[in-house]
Amino acid sequence: MTTASAPAAQQTGRRKSTGALLVHQVRYEQLSFWRNPQSAFFTFAFPVIFFVILGAVFRTGNVYDHISGIEYYTPTITALSVIGCCYSQLAISLSLRRQTGILKRLRATPAPAWLIFGGIVIHCIILSLIDTVLIVIMSRVYGHAFPSNWGAILITLLIAAAAFCAIGVAVASLIKNADAAPAVVQFIFFPLLFISGSYFHIASKVINNIAGVFPIKPFNDALIQTFTLGKGIDGHAILVMAAWGVGGALVAIRRFRWDPRPE
Amino acid sequence: MSVVEIDDLQKSYGSKKAVRGVSLTVEEGQIFALLGPNGAGKTTTLEILEGFRQRDAGRVSVLGFDPADRRGGREMREQIGLVLQDIAVEPYLTVRETVARNAGYYPAARDIDEVIALVGMSGKEKEKVKDLSGGQKRRLDLALGIIGNPRLLFLDEPTTGFDPSARRSAWELVRELTRLGTTILLTTHYMDEAQALADEVAVIAAGEIVARGTPETLGGRDTAKARVRFALPEGHSADELPVAVSPDGEEMVTVEADDPTEVLHQLTGWALGNNTTLPRLIVDRPSLEDVYIRLTGEGADAPQAERSMT
Ligand SMILES: Nc1ncnc2c1ncn2[C@@H]1O[C@H](COP(=O)(O)OP(=O)(O)O)[C@@H](O)[C@H]1O
Ligand SMILES: [Mg+2]
Repeated sequence: MTTASAPAAQQTGRRKSTGALLVHQVRYEQLSFWRNPQSAFFTFAFPVIFFVILGAVFRTGNVYDHISGIEYYTPTITALSVIGCCYSQLAISLSLRRQTGILKRLRATPAPAWLIFGGIVIHCIILSLIDTVLIVIMSRVYGHAFPSNWGAILITLLIAAAAFCAIGVAVASLIKNADAAPAVVQFIFFPLLFISGSYFHIASKVINNIAGVFPIKPFNDALIQTFTLGKGIDGHAILVMAAWGVGGALVAIRRFRWDPRPE
Repeated sequence: MSVVEIDDLQKSYGSKKAVRGVSLTVEEGQIFALLGPNGAGKTTTLEILEGFRQRDAGRVSVLGFDPADRRGGREMREQIGLVLQDIAVEPYLTVRETVARNAGYYPAARDIDEVIALVGMSGKEKEKVKDLSGGQKRRLDLALGIIGNPRLLFLDEPTTGFDPSARRSAWELVRELTRLGTTILLTTHYMDEAQALADEVAVIAAGEIVARGTPETLGGRDTAKARVRFALPEGHSADELPVAVSPDGEEMVTVEADDPTEVLHQLTGWALGNNTTLPRLIVDRPSLEDVYIRLTGEGADAPQAERSMT
């Protein structure tokens, strides 16, 4: 046994600033993420491989209104990957961390809730941006020009990422058993991805109207508008996503639990 | 100054009363042990103090904070450390990263390497948590409990599952921490742990404190009668002895006395006079274990302190 210095009576330190705490938190979120080969693979390899295959098959075909395959899939697969980072990955890892008691252990420290969630959201946004860059590069390889209006794209991505994070936390709050988390998480979003035109263009007005109520189709629309058509921010789509984000945050605030065992 | 004050604490889970009217006070600098069998309500009491569970009734103060009030939560948590009953650590971080991450949450954290050395994990800094043994994970968890340089440390069954040598080092660490000024409230179901560590012990059974005191005075041990026990020498019957004895198990007999000096003098004088001995002669007072078993009604299912070496 070694002898320690610093007697416990000396409590002379000062709290770190908000910024320094967030940097600290994000750094360790990133570290644990990159160390886990499985989560890194699914987050990055899956959308990129998916994009490469779709691009190879549908690259030059006309999807609709003179939009080519590559012009269509660059935004939709980007959206898919952001949803993967912010919603699926987050909801599954959060419920797993709760089940294993890691969240409770974290709650035992002075780290405030805003820091823990802020760290997660920023971490997920970073992953989303990396995914976006990878897909845009692959898209360039397929001959699609780099998008020009990065400002509009970035704002759309940030709002969407925050909204899907909030929905992810809400779903994690409602999941009781982490073993079921992957199934529940995918079960909610898989059909929505289909009707939202993530995999192929949907021509039916009825389906489009239904899908438009949920957050994925607006996200696709907003990215198609900015990525492919070179236009500005899709205000309507942003509003729908933001509304879902606020709803998710409200559910999360009311229902989120740290403890693996309810009282 | 009292560091922890609990007055008439009550907590039920549905219709199950887990804690019924517990009151206790932990003074600054003490090691206080809450000793009791599984299901007695130790974890429930501790987790109410830590702010993880809500009490139904009673008054609770931890370093002057009400743990149920989340507004003071951050400030309280900067001054307390805790180790939960179940270990939970991020699997993919290394030992040093795990400690460094938590160090960042405290305004006056201890030195990271010093804490790693303190829990006996030096040389394991670069190992991933998922590759550690159960005992090592527990020691890492303990490191997380003390990294913030807490005034008050809660330990929920800190040595359950340790081999005897790991327990001794954990005890040494606990003593070292009190020397450095940390007050410690621990729970345990090991009598010897309470005896070895605690300045004060409260025995809890079925949600109630059934006895309290120092390990020496607990359950009236200090004032209890001494027991003189021996086996009847061969060829003699109990009637021949100079004092009245009662049978005690196979072949053994017992005499209880406030002061065993007189009784011993009579017995040994008789034995020498008869040219014989008093086989297996023992003089003792009730052990903490005897008191504990009497108080908690625990028998065969009381967990044994000493486990086989692995
Ligand atoms: N989350 C819970 N929900 C329902 N019952 C519980 C819960 N936690 C503990 N109990 C019950 O309360 C009693 C006390 O448990 P606990 O405080 O864990 O005791 P100990 O830590 O002394 O073993 C036990 O009967 C236990 O089954
Ligand atoms: Mg317990």
